[in-house]
Amino acid sequence: MPGVPGVPGVADGPAALVVSGVSVRFGGVLALDDVSLEAAPGHVTGLIGPNGAGKTTLFNVVSGLHHPDHGTVHLFGRDVTALAPPARARLGLARTFQRLELFGSLTVEENVLVGLESTAVWWHRRHRRRRQGPGALDEADRRRAARAARILAEVGLTSVAGVQASTLPTGLARMAELARALAIDPRLLLLDEPGSGLDRAESAALGDLLVRLASSGVAVLLVEHDMELVMRVCDPIHVLDFGHVIASGAPAEVREDPAVQAAYLGAVPDGVGVAGGDR
Amino acid sequence: MKVLGTRRHPDEAVGPGALAVTVAGVRAAYGRIEVLHGVDLAVPAGSVFALLGPNGAGKSTLLAVVRGQLRPTHGTVTVGDLDVTRTPTERLARAGLCAIPEGRAVFPNLTVRENLRVWTYRGGVSMADVEAATYERFPRLAERRRQLAGTLSGGEQQMLAISRALVGSPRVLLLDELSMGLAPLVVAELYELVASLASTGMTVLLVEQFVTTALAVATRAAIMVHGRIVREGPPADVGDAALGAYLS
Amino acid sequence: MSDFLQYTVFGVMLGAGFAIAATGLVVTYAASGVFNFAHGAVGMTAAFLYWELVVHDHVPVPLALVVVLLVVAPLFGALVERVLMRRLHGASAERPVLVTLGLLVILTGVATLVWSPTVTRVVNPLVAGTFRLVGVNIEYQYVITVGLAAVVAVALRLLFFSTRTGLALRAVVDDPDLLAMAGASPNRVSQLGWVLGFVLAALAGVLIAGTQSTGVNIAALTLLVVNGYAAAVVGRLRNIPVTFAAAVGIGLAESYVNSYAVPHLAQNLQTDVPLVLPMIFFFVALVTVPAARLRAVGRLTTVRAQRLVGARQAALSGIAFAVVVVLCAVALAGDQSNGTTVLDLAGQVMAFGIVGLSLVLVTGYAGQVSLCQFAFMGIGAFVMGKVAGGGSLLGLVAAAGVCGVLGALVALPTVRLRDLYLALATFAFADAVATGFFADVHVFGSGGLTVGRVVLPGLSFGGDRAELLLVAGCFLGCAWLVLALRRSLVGRRLVALNDSPAAFATVGLNVPATRVVVFAVGAAMAGLAGALYGTVEGVVGTSDFSVFAGVIFFLFVTTWSVRSVGGALLASITYVVLANVWDNGLGLFAGAGVILVGRAAAGILGAEPLQRFAPLASRSTGRSGPAGEALGADSRAAEGAFALGSEARAAG
Repeated sequence: MPGVPGVPGVADGPAALVVSGVSVRFGGVLALDDVSLEAAPGHVTGLIGPNGAGKTTLFNVVSGLHHPDHGTVHLFGRDVTALAPPARARLGLARTFQRLELFGSLTVEENVLVGLESTAVWWHRRHRRRRQGPGALDEADRRRAARAARILAEVGLTSVAGVQASTLPTGLARMAELARALAIDPRLLLLDEPGSGLDRAESAALGDLLVRLASSGVAVLLVEHDMELVMRVCDPIHVLDFGHVIASGAPAEVREDPAVQAAYLGAVPDGVGVAGGDR
Repeated sequence: MKVLGTRRHPDEAVGPGALAVTVAGVRAAYGRIEVLHGVDLAVPAGSVFALLGPNGAGKSTLLAVVRGQLRPTHGTVTVGDLDVTRTPTERLARAGLCAIPEGRAVFPNLTVRENLRVWTYRGGVSMADVEAATYERFPRLAERRRQLAGTLSGGEQQMLAISRALVGSPRVLLLDELSMGLAPLVVAELYELVASLASTGMTVLLVEQFVTTALAVATRAAIMVHGRIVREGPPADVGDAALGAYLS
Repeated sequence: MSDFLQYTVFGVMLGAGFAIAATGLVVTYAASGVFNFAHGAVGMTAAFLYWELVVHDHVPVPLALVVVLLVVAPLFGALVERVLMRRLHGASAERPVLVTLGLLVILTGVATLVWSPTVTRVVNPLVAGTFRLVGVNIEYQYVITVGLAAVVAVALRLLFFSTRTGLALRAVVDDPDLLAMAGASPNRVSQLGWVLGFVLAALAGVLIAGTQSTGVNIAALTLLVVNGYAAAVVGRLRNIPVTFAAAVGIGLAESYVNSYAVPHLAQNLQTDVPLVLPMIFFFVALVTVPAARLRAVGRLTTVRAQRLVGARQAALSGIAFAVVVVLCAVALAGDQSNGTTVLDLAGQVMAFGIVGLSLVLVTGYAGQVSLCQFAFMGIGAFVMGKVAGGGSLLGLVAAAGVCGVLGALVALPTVRLRDLYLALATFAFADAVATGFFADVHVFGSGGLTVGRVVLPGLSFGGDRAELLLVAGCFLGCAWLVLALRRSLVGRRLVALNDSPAAFATVGLNVPATRVVVFAVGAAMAGLAGALYGTVEGVVGTSDFSVFAGVIFFLFVTTWSVRSVGGALLASITYVVLANVWDNGLGLFAGAGVILVGRAAAGILGAEPLQRFAPLASRSTGRSGPAGEALGADSRAAEGAFALGSEARAAG
């Protein structure tokens, strides 16, 4: 059982992400109900649960796109509940989207560049040039292009670097989102179903990449339906159902948890089931 | 085709019956991304057919094709002798195809009662029938009849959505992820209703992520993976395979 | 006291007219998710048709009313839905806005051809005469207007809440597919919304025209009906009672301001304020009504069409530069008989080309619909004419600077608005500036403002050829800037912001600041263009920068391609040539163009067949080939994509 990728050599510092008591209500539906969980540097923390359990809502709360009705979010020890998404990004938070949010009119490489340049300001050009002579910025541009190429190579997108992002098939588009997220050099990475649309080999490569990222000290929070991937790379795993965390723990524990099995397979309620079989 | 669109008297039931659903060689795509790669499926009249499979397998897409919402790039879909791809959705509805799509299939800015009134567009049913049947089945909705549907709980919205199938004996019922985001007790209540509807002799094609729940009511089942049907048969046979496909 | 009562009665009557116009807009929007920009023009056309029948052809009033309100208006509404709007389902959000704008300029264009635009026509009230009540003179027309407004209110209330059809009208935009699954035809329900909207617009037009005892002309009447737009926005485009209350409030406010405040103003302001007041109300309503509520309705938020930018522009800019060269050659060889005319035209093309470039930046890259570039252009020309005697390089700089600052000021309150609402806000701003500022006697007045040619120490651009070189130089500079920006991080950011604001924010970039900056830069470019236009023409007047002219130019740019420099240049050529050949036909061509382009967001130059002719561009960045409008290509697929989206939203 390859369940515990606990990374030696990376000290468990303060949690990168602490979500405490977060509740979100959409109309009459309680999407998140008093959810608390943490993600630590050096770990790939899994977040699983059936459709509609509230996983994406939680990501939106953490990244600042949705304000919780109750509860707080701390990033790297700082209360960010009131901060806007860009401010959280500057603290080192990056995410991907389940419903793809690529910059569709740009090429894949340009998508990564937008991430790489997120801290650059356009007037740096003149400023630098005056100080360091002409050509200084071209150097910065070249450095960025080289980094973009490295990131694209890492996620296996080198061959489609010049392709318009909106024309990518889903699997590649998810990798492009991952590449863009990596470009801002995150300390906390939220991945929303990066594995869907990937084949077995690609999914295995993704798993390796995530383990590598974690071992370099990044905190990864992974929402994924591919159980093979989750069980291989995640520790701990949190299970979300109807907006509640119903189980947390190591992969093996979670897998054996009866509440988790019920959540995934659906309990057979008494009184149903008479219609089948004999008709 | 004469029966289509004509309004029937409420006393005449929609007829003896259930219609078969046939899906032949269907390919469907969102933009350039093909989701269904040639699906064949025969749902016998009067059966309760459970379509299972992991997330992203294309189950909901197939249902969107069957209810006429998404046009396939290849292949045909027939409900009874109606060609779904050539018939406007509203005519399919009037011919007895009752589709409850995924999510909350209600009008959020109409009240419960107003939603029920829209259900009468199908013809052959009166407002009184719809109200009586719905409130009898779901007394909670009677209490909230003046409330906007968007402010109901998830379970109540799903009850309101499925109330469309309660009167006028639809011939084919398509259910997409009925249990999505609902508490187990509510799911149980809804599936009790599905079982009793099925016993009145309509064809039911349902997509469900909860294998056990779905197989409990099904008379036949299939598993879909990556846009293809990989297994089809009686629930007991399919069930074992499905369990394997989920928590691997 | 009796004065107050008199003003109140007039205000209520005016408000009742606005209310009828506004509810028509709301009904159409509720049933189709489309804001009909042409609503005012429909009202105007109906009123003029009524005038034609009653005053010109002596048709009895009741018969004329039946023809206008019950035959022509409903048929026209049904036709517009069937022919223009239905095929836009699933297209990107700005397409319906553009097509109704096209309808607006077509209707005003046709009206201009049939009825002379400068002649003021008195549309008779339905029933002439007045009576006196507690010391107030009340025209029968007032009573009829208020009474009909009440009838409309009650009838719509009954329709929407007590009939199944009304429920379908309220439900269709939220979920047309679900309505079809329930057994109703969403298309026919939407069509009914258009029919009702057109009938109410026509009714409002006839009534409001009848209250203008001094008569109305085409532009004035169109904009009068636009008064209803503000009320509709206050009612969040769906709440009819609030819309009614807001309409009456606006009517009263206008009546009081015009009666009490205006007579104490300076002479020139006495004519400006009444004209500009409605647009101020409109603008304030747009920027103050909460955005979340405005966004709640409509197909406006469905599928974003794919865009094509980048490499192809290199090729198109090549074309653009080639055209520039040709024009310059003409200029240099221009000592023939009508050389001056050609030079003059070329100068105009360059000046309007710069405005087009500003639209490429603001609308094409950053996705902000701006209908007020002509307003900035006019302000630029004004600054040029007033600074340093009207012939200084300083004037060009000042024009760009002033417009840049103004652009930022306009962008700040509107930064949260997108698509339709930004279009409406910029329309309101453009009209306020044109009617309230440019028309002022101290600005352009009736005779126009003289603008001199630029003179530098030792270098004069006084000659036509030198002048053209200056304008062409500025155009090339702006084109280079726009192209360079697109390839720089700024351009990537603008396109990224337009593609996905959510992802833009989560990579750490500031959405509002970026929008304000790009809008300000666009405004500065338009200001520069205006200043140059002034130096080319020598004299500029109010009509050069009217809101309709701005809309027409905007439509030409989007028709050719708002995402390429070539599109900007072709649009300005089209505009200038048509304006000089057949001024009155401009609107017809602009409207026809946008309607023909239909749902293709990329315009003519972005159309798939044309892209095959740009292999050079593809090779230069290694792009694999022409990328189509993947999701927008087929409406069924587009709806499917939306379904996929909602599936994803519900999950997790």
